[in-house]
Amino acid sequence: MSNLNRRQLAAALSAGALSASPILHAQEQPAAGDELNAARAQLRETAAQLDKFPLPMAVEPATTFKP
Amino acid sequence: MPIPEDIFFASITEINQKLTKRDLSAAELARAFSDRLEAIGPRYNALALSLHKDALRDAKDVDGDIKRERLRGPLQGIPYGAKDLLAYAKHPTTWGAKPYADQVFDYTASALKRIQKHGGLLTGKLAMVELAGGPSYRFATASMTGPGLNPWDTTRWSGGSSSGSAIAVAAGLVTYALGSETSGSILTPSAFCGVTGLRPTYGLVSRHGAMALSWTLDKIGPICRSAEDCGLVLEAIAGGDYEDPASSHKSFYYTPQFARDLKDVRVGYAPVDFNDAVDPAARADYAKALETIKSLGVQVTEAKMPEFPYGPVIGTIISSEGSAVFEPLITSGRVDQLADQHQIAGLKAGLEIPAKEYLKAMRIRALIQESFRDLLSTIDVLIAPTRFDPAPKITQPLDRPASDRPMPADPGLRALIPAGNLAGLPALSLPCGFANGMPMGLQLVGTPFSENLLLAIGKTFQDRTDWHKRRPPVTSG
Repeated sequence: MSNLNRRQLAAALSAGALSASPILHAQEQPAAGDELNAARAQLRETAAQLDKFPLPMAVEPATTFKP
Repeated sequence: MPIPEDIFFASITEINQKLTKRDLSAAELARAFSDRLEAIGPRYNALALSLHKDALRDAKDVDGDIKRERLRGPLQGIPYGAKDLLAYAKHPTTWGAKPYADQVFDYTASALKRIQKHGGLLTGKLAMVELAGGPSYRFATASMTGPGLNPWDTTRWSGGSSSGSAIAVAAGLVTYALGSETSGSILTPSAFCGVTGLRPTYGLVSRHGAMALSWTLDKIGPICRSAEDCGLVLEAIAGGDYEDPASSHKSFYYTPQFARDLKDVRVGYAPVDFNDAVDPAARADYAKALETIKSLGVQVTEAKMPEFPYGPVIGTIISSEGSAVFEPLITSGRVDQLADQHQIAGLKAGLEIPAKEYLKAMRIRALIQESFRDLLSTIDVLIAPTRFDPAPKITQPLDRPASDRPMPADPGLRALIPAGNLAGLPALSLPCGFANGMPMGLQLVGTPFSENLLLAIGKTFQDRTDWHKRRPPVTSG
């Protein structure tokens, strides 16, 4: 992983690009700061995917979980 | 006289019959199973805490009860294990995580108390992925006890987060175990280890005394050798509990004798799941499994999942709720003691998720629940491979696709695990074959509180197959 910059690491860790990323080994965990940036990038990607979903204004959050 | 090896792989009913006929004593069973769990459990990183002494003490009480013909049902005197996310009073409950290594509660989880009332013998707390996986983790090593090693091949992972529970059942270290699922943590290790796992309807089993990861998703359920055993355990642990705000206050009675006529049951599946989507080495066994399901006389029909961004929705909910649960751990800095860097970063980042993102995920979730209500008004049970690939190698990163096999454009029912969890639906995973020597599972998902139907199909399937009776190459020496 040491050859990847932060942006590449974030891209590699995002769901869409994972299959193209090099295999990570347990001994090769990225530095903590890079990992946090990648996690934030992942959350931004996830939010973008949710944003693409059309939600009518009338839809209320699920609040009842007792089916 | 040593206990015969077959006892370690016997069903709950078989062992209970031997106890009530006094062919065996509960004390003999407790001693033999505890010794085996202590000797073999660590080989697979499956054991968090042996409860040998407690089990022997309880076994003596059970033997006294049986002698006086005070019979308490099929779980009486049966050794079992519990995922180390369930509190057991005055003993460590670590949640698989180093920051909680010394944590001790002064109360016992409701599910364990219910089994105690039935005379069950808790022989050990079983290993798990740290914090039940948190928002996500990259490596199988994400556990204080090390990676769960698969009894079928110790170079492969057991699956998680109920790792030790599935390993212990597969290797004959306990007769059954309790696990928990937020999204796949009962079904996945059950499939990877070749055992039968039941994820109950949300709210059916009390989570009081269980670690919270996601208040709106967490469930407690059994991992067993057969669907029948799952029914017996669920009957004991299900039921209302005012200590759990999510409790549905419903009971469950395992009544296979009153199961619906299978001719009236509509089973939906996606053909692509059993062909191009699943590991090629498992396709022949999946084709046979599908034929077996059809031979039960059910009405089989093709099914399509409603289209939703299941992964992002469940990911946002688990990250938001999980980071809120563990905020004190994160802000104190002790989160850095966790084993998996990916999980540490995910927990920290999860605290930054805006409320609007969480609410958006919950609004989409409401639509998912509604869509599944519609789908399951025309189909009673959905079936699909539990996982589409066998257990990965221990070193394989888990936050990327399990194989480089191209996935077909047709999504089939591949998102059934997150979808079923978001909708609060029950699911049963049955062993149904092998891929290159590793077990594969078939999942059945039904309407809320349809556990008896899932179990009836599972039991009939297991009456006609023997995948659930296969044993991994475990040696006791």
